[in-house]
Amino acid sequence: MPEQDDNQGFLARWKALPTDSVPKTIFVAVSLCLFCSMIVAAAAVSLRPIQEVNKLKDKQMNILQVAGRYEDGIDIPEAFAAFEPRVLDLAAGTFTDAFDGATFDDRAAANDPELSRNLTDDPAGIGRRSNYAVVYLLNDEAGNLDKVILPIHGYGLWSTLYGFIALEENGNDIFGLQFYDHAETPGLGAEVDNPRWKAMWSGKELRDAAGDLKITVAKGVPSTDMEAYHIDALAGATLTSVGVDNLVRFWMGEEGFAPFLENLKAGAL
Amino acid sequence: MKALRSIFDKIEPHFERGGKYNKYYALYEAVESFFYSPKTVSTVAPHARSYTDMKRIMIYVFLAAMPCAIFGMWNTGHNANVALAALGPDAVSGWRFALMDWLGFGLNPDSILACLFNGFLWFLPIYAVTMIVGLFWEILFAVIRGHEVNEGFFVTSILYVLILPASTPLWQVALGISFGVVIGKEVFGGTGKNFLNPALVGRAFLYFAYPAQMSGDSVWTPVDGFSGATALAVTASDGVQALAGQGITWWSAFLGTIQGSMGETSALACMIGLAFLMVTKIANWRLIVGCMGGMIGFSLLLNLIGSDTNPMFGMSWYWHFVLGGYAFGLAFMVTEPVSASHTNVGRYWYGALIGFMVVMIRVINPAFPEGMMLAILFANIFAPLIDYFVVRANIARRAKRNA
Amino acid sequence: MAQTRRSYLVDPLVDNNPITLQVLGICSALAVTSSLQVSFVMALAVTFVTAFSSMFISMLRNYIPSSIRIIVQMVIIASLVILVDQVLKAYLYDVSKTLSVFVGLIITNCIVMGRAEAFAMKNPPIDSFIDGIGNGLGYGLILMLVGFIRELFGAGTLFGFTVLPTVTNGGWYVPNGMLLLPPSAFFIIGLLIWGFRTWKPEQVEETEYKIQHLEEAH
Repeated sequence: MPEQDDNQGFLARWKALPTDSVPKTIFVAVSLCLFCSMIVAAAAVSLRPIQEVNKLKDKQMNILQVAGRYEDGIDIPEAFAAFEPRVLDLAAGTFTDAFDGATFDDRAAANDPELSRNLTDDPAGIGRRSNYAVVYLLNDEAGNLDKVILPIHGYGLWSTLYGFIALEENGNDIFGLQFYDHAETPGLGAEVDNPRWKAMWSGKELRDAAGDLKITVAKGVPSTDMEAYHIDALAGATLTSVGVDNLVRFWMGEEGFAPFLENLKAGAL
Repeated sequence: MKALRSIFDKIEPHFERGGKYNKYYALYEAVESFFYSPKTVSTVAPHARSYTDMKRIMIYVFLAAMPCAIFGMWNTGHNANVALAALGPDAVSGWRFALMDWLGFGLNPDSILACLFNGFLWFLPIYAVTMIVGLFWEILFAVIRGHEVNEGFFVTSILYVLILPASTPLWQVALGISFGVVIGKEVFGGTGKNFLNPALVGRAFLYFAYPAQMSGDSVWTPVDGFSGATALAVTASDGVQALAGQGITWWSAFLGTIQGSMGETSALACMIGLAFLMVTKIANWRLIVGCMGGMIGFSLLLNLIGSDTNPMFGMSWYWHFVLGGYAFGLAFMVTEPVSASHTNVGRYWYGALIGFMVVMIRVINPAFPEGMMLAILFANIFAPLIDYFVVRANIARRAKRNA
Repeated sequence: MAQTRRSYLVDPLVDNNPITLQVLGICSALAVTSSLQVSFVMALAVTFVTAFSSMFISMLRNYIPSSIRIIVQMVIIASLVILVDQVLKAYLYDVSKTLSVFVGLIITNCIVMGRAEAFAMKNPPIDSFIDGIGNGLGYGLILMLVGFIRELFGAGTLFGFTVLPTVTNGGWYVPNGMLLLPPSAFFIIGLLIWGFRTWKPEQVEETEYKIQHLEEAH
């Protein structure tokens, strides 16, 4: 009875359709997708600023911790204001103003062929090295350089470890070392996060008086002339310890921050 | 002996059905059959008539492990005494060394008796703890489930002890054997129903739970302050050539005077045990052939491929054979009848899988220089699957023939 | 009615637990239970997602065409999961770093889909909501139990507070490293199932075949 159908409104005809009919299926699918995508997008957009702040705070907290400036409950951005991020040209060992230290992403730069290069000798197992690195300078109240915080990374047993090393103003005495991102074995390699192990780094020296790189992570009791440069390997985590040894020596060596540290020592900055 | 028999006969009714200690029949049976052969013997068809029963098999395996145990005790004591001699009298500490002194054995590394007795003092507490804790679980499950305590545990206990480092803390020994017996065997219904080797399950538990006490350089010789890497660990970092620098030749590794778990260092002792097991037909030769074939084949392939960064690639098969737990595993774990494949064709594959995996883990996995334990456990899991395919293939072949 | 609603909430805790009886949602239970705090947040997240997805799906159940019902369920669940993920990243950054991909993987958690398909498609919204809460709590209960054992014996802490001082920190307790690795959760869940079924024998499945017992001859 087509005439009767014509008399009915569109809405009534729509209602009479079975749930499984094609138009209704498409309608449900489209409207549900629209609705859900709006909710998800709204949440993502409105929460993004807070998430960005979290990420930044996390990084800043790690820098504060490695520099010994972190305490529970402090205002992280405020404490971090004492640090001055600078972009460093690794090969020259001097600062460059071509990039902004606050926004330069050295992890991304390591994958950019323009800003990085392949390593032929690669003990740290990182493949490519960025030509630039963001370092953080901490000045004391009088405005003199107090500490420098350098980013380091390299391969352990299962994962790349990312971290910071904090050096005193002479560029040779270690103040602290901390990894903020890794996936080593819990209870073994992951003990790089153990405060007791990290504390061993404090006060060690990178080079001897002759300028040879001496810092070592190794098992056993060091000979007396090595004591100032020796860090005990992690118990039961040989390969993570070897990885840390390699990456610290790599980044403190000629391919890493050595030119910068020399300049720092000579007061040429 | 007669008096003992009459005691058993007198108390037996209490444990029979209806007796007041019926619940503890398992306990009675275990003690009685320890002294006398079991009364229930199958003598008529369809059972095969043979002198070999379960108990005899287990005693044979136990005997076969004795050369390893005795050599292991001497080696443990020898290594300890050598280390003590090198470190000087200050390192002498602990009740064992005091007892040695008091008994007049001294700590002379050249005296066979002094070394043997020293090793015995390390072996005994571990073995005693294993027996007490393991039997506790065995009897508990037997009583609850109302079956008899199985002799299988005697084999499990001796094998478990022989693959531990001498310096293992006793509480860890207890935890490991508990895990091995309960998780490795009893949850599946007890001896004969376990698809994993309980001794290895216990050892693997300790390996992952307490790696600092189970691996590394300071655990193999039970002397404080002494550290010596196992031959495999040396090879993993510096290659086989570096072993010579440690004073390790192929012959010393074959004889077993090197660092390692208590009973596994001597390939020679393991081979004596294996020969005994093969003469008594407890070990199936197909498993041995498969395991040797897989190991030799894959290590030759890796020798051929070679690697600049990983010295383990260059390790030849005869070194794989004498180092670490390979020989011990081959003799006592691969041939373990319950957890291996049960079909003849499957036995070749099962053995080959172990041989392949042990080289694979040793050479390619950076975290584990030793791989025999993990390789055998891995193959244990695959044994039923291998059997399944062998049986399937047989069925298919027969169907084709009769089609 | 009140009685059945109560049972929707209480049954999944022990009698019909999604992990120990139905053996669903195991993957995330293995991955996130190394510490109590993370287990707790994960349990909350799953409870939230299960409850609300069940409720929304139940509200729409008469309008969902059966040909695309699984996709519709997935869209609703996925949206809720992304919402949870975003909120965690914004307000619980540390926890979200540890949970990493496993929040996203709630989408594939069989418990959520299972309740949507088995319960919410046939029952009114409030019942479905309660059922979702119940199942989420049942999941959370096991997660917390496993997390408790793993954190206490694996690291000597509970919610990050030291209970058993470990040797590496100068104490006496030698932590059990295996408990920090995911496979340990497998053993713990297995033992929990064993315990539950010994406690409540009606949970034991019928054996597929029976072994014939001959008359014993001692």
